[in-house]
Amino acid sequence: MESLFKRWVILSDSTMRKKYEAYIKSTDAKIAAFLEFDVDRGLGLAAEVGKGGELEGVPFAVKDIIAVRGFRLTCGSKILENFVSPYTATAVEKLIAKGGVMVGKTNLDEFGMGSSTDNSALGKTNNPWDTERVCGGSSGGSAAAVAAGMVPFALGSDTGGSVRQPAAFCGVYGLKPTYGAVSRYGLVAYASSLEVIGVCARSVGIARTVFDIMKGQDEKDQSSLNSGTDAPEPEAGVIGVLGGNLGLDPAVDRAYRATIDFYRSKGFEIREINLSMADYYVPVYYTIATAEASANLARYTGIRYGYRPGYAENPEELTRKARSEGFGNEVKLRILLGTYVLRSGFQDQYYQRAQRLRQAIRADFDRAFTRADVILMPVFPTQAFLRGQGGLDQFQQKLADRFTTAANLAGLPALSFPAAVSDGLPAGMQFLAPAFGEARLFDIVRLYEEHFPCPQPPSCKPEWS
Amino acid sequence: MDVSELKITAELANLNLMEEEFVSLGREVEKILDYFSKMMEADEGSLPAGTERCGANRIRPDEQIRDINPDVLLENAPELEDRFIVIPNVL
Repeated sequence: MESLFKRWVILSDSTMRKKYEAYIKSTDAKIAAFLEFDVDRGLGLAAEVGKGGELEGVPFAVKDIIAVRGFRLTCGSKILENFVSPYTATAVEKLIAKGGVMVGKTNLDEFGMGSSTDNSALGKTNNPWDTERVCGGSSGGSAAAVAAGMVPFALGSDTGGSVRQPAAFCGVYGLKPTYGAVSRYGLVAYASSLEVIGVCARSVGIARTVFDIMKGQDEKDQSSLNSGTDAPEPEAGVIGVLGGNLGLDPAVDRAYRATIDFYRSKGFEIREINLSMADYYVPVYYTIATAEASANLARYTGIRYGYRPGYAENPEELTRKARSEGFGNEVKLRILLGTYVLRSGFQDQYYQRAQRLRQAIRADFDRAFTRADVILMPVFPTQAFLRGQGGLDQFQQKLADRFTTAANLAGLPALSFPAAVSDGLPAGMQFLAPAFGEARLFDIVRLYEEHFPCPQPPSCKPEWS
Repeated sequence: MDVSELKITAELANLNLMEEEFVSLGREVEKILDYFSKMMEADEGSLPAGTERCGANRIRPDEQIRDINPDVLLENAPELEDRFIVIPNVL
């Protein structure tokens, strides 16, 4: 079998490397996917573990909320702008152990909070299909870097759609693994019960290979798990789909119908399923995510690391000033919300209720998977939106998370894929499977990929290949 | 949420808000809490609250592991005096 990475073995050869670096320089001047890019440092990390892995000489990128030793770990925030990571995340370590070269850190919404990457305090990332539009978020830099042909894959994190939505906006594959399938050691915590490290990739095969390398129980993350079985997944035969008016933009609606027709024509049974809890995904998600964020982000005090204000009278003032000057608006908003929903007197009404509804959402999916092997749904109701007027405001962006947050609340794996290109922009769909059903997802999306390969933005032509 | 509630919440969250932030963030918080009230319609009945899918609690032995050199950790401290982190006067 020809290696999936054949055309990506770039960094073992100095001529190829020069061409590659020149391509990154000219391309990233337009896209701005990277916050930090350093091939030498990446090769240094790879050299520490020796030679001969299946990713040898292959560049990859990592969202700047995942730790890589010697690189900065900014989380897109002013509060960590100059923080240099003293260690490497388990998922990244496993890829480096296979020879992969971690060439750079990608831009994101501050602490993963957003759907456009415009909430980064450190710069804007443009969509490679149309630089006037957002690249999606929060792993927007990772998706844009893959779409623009700068890396074959890039790691992201998915708390409520943050890998799948930018992947859909940029026209690449985006995997959100089962909760616990990939170690979170080295992933900066935002909402610990929801998030997982995932991958944006150029092909289904690459996503599968990267996932297979990253997955598995890790003693440094007590919530990580082995899937427990290596038995081959039975092939999916029945696809559950959503009925009724889904409130989609016309292009996304067309793509959803066309995807359903494609699978029907391939002999799959299409069955309409009723997800009775669907109206509650977004409020339940934001209640739990902000509650967890308010606790997780309490660690940024300006004392041991991170941004410190010029002057403070005492340690309490130091902490307040560091946080008030260091966090952006969306982060402050979510910390305030999270603090409120956990406050004595309000907790029953919000947080406890959300936790109970989360159980009901899980039970709803357990029922749905007795009627279908996989569930097909859109990723986001729109394609990549414009900045400013004509785009979506922060509140509208939250409401639009209604298809992505379900997988996080229920801990399920989901794989988004470029289903169509319409009006010059990609439109993404996603499959969801029962826990640890990643193989089923890869198999069913590969069938689509065989007929409709990953599209390439017209303005990006990797020249070294 | 009225301004006094927002002030208490900001205090608990260790955030100083400027006057204009009280207005702009207050408006956003209000809008989202209003939206959260959608959850009140749902019949959550006797469902338990929780997040665990599989209840196994895995713990590791209580042993000291030093896989990161503390001196490297201190390199990220904003201000050091020898091996101590400098903070403003406590009293």
